[in-house]
Amino acid sequence: MDKFSFKDVLVTFAGLFITTLVAWVLITSTGNNPSEVAKYLYEGGFKGTRNIANSLYQATPLILTATATLISFRVGMFNIGINGSMYVGALYAGWAGYRFTNLGHFSHVTLCILIGMTVGALWMLLPALLRVYAGVSEIISTIILNFVAVLFVSYMANGPFRADPIAPATARILETAELKQIFPNSQFNTGFFIAVIVAILAHFVLNKTTFGYELRSGGDGLVGVYPSRFSSYLGIPSDRSAIIGMLISGALGGLAGAIEVLGAVRYFFQELEFNQGFDGILIGILGKLEPIGAIIASLFYGAIKNGGFFVDYKTDVAREIIIVLISILIFFVSAQKIVKGLEKYPIVKKLDSFFSRKKM
Amino acid sequence: MNKEIAIHLKNITKSYPGVIANKNVDFQVNKGEIHALVGENGAGKSTLMKILYGIEQPDEGEIVINGSMETINKVETAINLGIGMVHQEFTLVPSFTAPENIGLGQEPKNSKGLVDWKGLNKSVMDIAEKYGFKVDPGLKMIDASVGVQQRTEILKTLYRNANILILDEPTAVLTPQETDELFNVIRTLVNEGKTVIFITHKLREVMEIADRVTVMRAGEVQGVSETKNTSITELASQMVGREVFLQVKKDEADPKDEILNVENLWVHDARGLLAVNGVEMSIKEGEIVGIAGVEGNGQTELVEALTGLRKASRGKIMYLGEDIASSTPKNIRRKKIAHIPEDRTNTGLNTQLSIWENLIGNSYFRKPLSSKGIFNLKKVAKHANKLKEDFDIRSPNVSLKVKSLSGGNQQKVVVARELSEDPTLTIASQPTRGVDIGNIEAIHEQLVQMRDDGGAVLLVSAELDEVMAVADRVGVMYEGQIVKWVNPKEVDQSQMGLYMAGVTE
Repeated sequence: MDKFSFKDVLVTFAGLFITTLVAWVLITSTGNNPSEVAKYLYEGGFKGTRNIANSLYQATPLILTATATLISFRVGMFNIGINGSMYVGALYAGWAGYRFTNLGHFSHVTLCILIGMTVGALWMLLPALLRVYAGVSEIISTIILNFVAVLFVSYMANGPFRADPIAPATARILETAELKQIFPNSQFNTGFFIAVIVAILAHFVLNKTTFGYELRSGGDGLVGVYPSRFSSYLGIPSDRSAIIGMLISGALGGLAGAIEVLGAVRYFFQELEFNQGFDGILIGILGKLEPIGAIIASLFYGAIKNGGFFVDYKTDVAREIIIVLISILIFFVSAQKIVKGLEKYPIVKKLDSFFSRKKM
Repeated sequence: MNKEIAIHLKNITKSYPGVIANKNVDFQVNKGEIHALVGENGAGKSTLMKILYGIEQPDEGEIVINGSMETINKVETAINLGIGMVHQEFTLVPSFTAPENIGLGQEPKNSKGLVDWKGLNKSVMDIAEKYGFKVDPGLKMIDASVGVQQRTEILKTLYRNANILILDEPTAVLTPQETDELFNVIRTLVNEGKTVIFITHKLREVMEIADRVTVMRAGEVQGVSETKNTSITELASQMVGREVFLQVKKDEADPKDEILNVENLWVHDARGLLAVNGVEMSIKEGEIVGIAGVEGNGQTELVEALTGLRKASRGKIMYLGEDIASSTPKNIRRKKIAHIPEDRTNTGLNTQLSIWENLIGNSYFRKPLSSKGIFNLKKVAKHANKLKEDFDIRSPNVSLKVKSLSGGNQQKVVVARELSEDPTLTIASQPTRGVDIGNIEAIHEQLVQMRDDGGAVLLVSAELDEVMAVADRVGVMYEGQIVKWVNPKEVDQSQMGLYMAGVTE
């Protein structure tokens, strides 16, 4: 993958700047005070233990879904079905959270997580097999499976797993299955550390192991290139790489869902709504398809998201406007060509070559 | 004879970060001539043409077209000035037919404001007829041969009233027959008053088709000459900057034990048609066996069968006494058989990966590059940098993506990787396609070196000169069989031509 360079930093700041301008106009025109919005956005994202904790909580599933997405992209599979894996992972981790009793804390949490990951992985097995053995585009099958997942978990929460006579919801998970919340009044939980460790592990596996090399040999870009002639020519079975990559990807999606249920929501209910699987695609690309980039982008995105909630809570600015702003920001931050005009300045050239210096 | 000047690029200088692509280049083309622009990869030919075509802007210099000074800051300006360019990578919509592709962007409209398909078809066919092109107006480009696609590209420029045509390495993708057809097309164009700039690094083609030739090296013009007053050797040394040995220097082969013995091999191609039927062949250590023949006579399938990429339908491939006909590419590679494939960009390389990641494709699993599945990146870097030095891969570092390299340097990455693991048998298929002359020499030397070190080499090439110069024994392949074995020293080109056409008596 392309490594980060000074240009990327420049693009990010140019994006922030343009977004600020657009936001100013937008907020003023709706009769609100932009500097007030900016203040609460900042406070909600970064000020005080509780807000910081909440920002990190928002980032937790994003780190995993972004890593999940980028792994499948780098294997050469254009997988956009992580949201589906997240749903089924959440459902079954929640189920395991109340179904198994008399377990110790550590073993119960581990069991729930493993079940969530396994179900998430199995959810991706179907599109992987369809792609490899029937030639069905993984783009189509994963989109469809996203819809199927929503309907499936909603049926399970309303039917076989329903525990609550009033609302379509499962039973609450047992205390032994909980991921601990550390700060009062915040859903931030130990799942955050799991997410970061998993992303770092993914970085290591992808970039520093022969297994990761074999997975990437057929892909390593934004464009899905499976099946790779290069892999088969080297004697690396690209079918296997594609399937394994999709399974890992799905497992991480399932883990994101499991952490949401075990750490924050604590039970599964019909209306529980996830969209982090989709945000993860965006964040994965923003992070240049590198797990470390995904962590950074997720932290940033989480802070803005939480800042947005805070603005919504403190001012009359509609929440939708904040979502619009986040979208504009993402839009401009990914607009690489903004800085093209700046490249002709010698200082930018120099800084760029300095920051993109490589070891090898 | 006083000739009119169609193009005069004066004193052009263009630099990119870290490199000067053109330095005070003076380039002049007369009206109605075929002017060849030659130079190695990275010599600055493409940059110069991009400047002429409005894709790049020069830092300094002037452009004079038909006597008037012009500023060409976008492609449209160039097109309006009557300049047309056919890029090496075609810019055609695969699901469109030739007329649809040609009219794209300049569709004639009928009275209702809709596209006038009939009018478009007619004007395209008129132009095609005028220049003697054969065009099937209903054929989609995805089903068309490379030669037809290229002719469509040329027609596209003619449809836009181009008088000056730039052809960027047009023969790199063509078979010898298609090249002959292209040359006929070029001659017709010039007879009709067009001017053609022909970018290439194949000097034999320059001598065959061009009137004059400009040689570039390292961003500067090395010389301009009329082809009738120069020679391939002279042009080659101007291009490379030193004397080039067009003859491969090698001693008499000293074949020893048999390495490979192919018995009655049958292979079907991707469409299920019989491509190889009954090939018999033996390769000994210390010799280079060449396979000559017009492309499409089963060479591709033969190589794929030998390397495990395609299953043989019948027959045996005995390698060191063991039948590897049903072995996988992985197992075949582990037995020290190296393979330089004919398709560089999709098979030989993953251009999304970095140079070092491509270089370790056949060695990543062994110590000291990795141990227990974990890379020792320092050792990997050392290994990759050593190959970069040994095989003269021109790149600032090995962390850059392969897609940033020129075609010749990409091929050097493939060759470096394949020859690095001390192979017993090297199967090289079109190893110098799209590679410039200095590097062709280097690759040939490396193959001869493999032989002299006791390796066995199979060289499959559509370039007859290459097979004749490098190989010690040559088999001529025709319609899936090797119809004749010859000693390259004892036959001449015309005799080989007959064999390649299937005439053996």
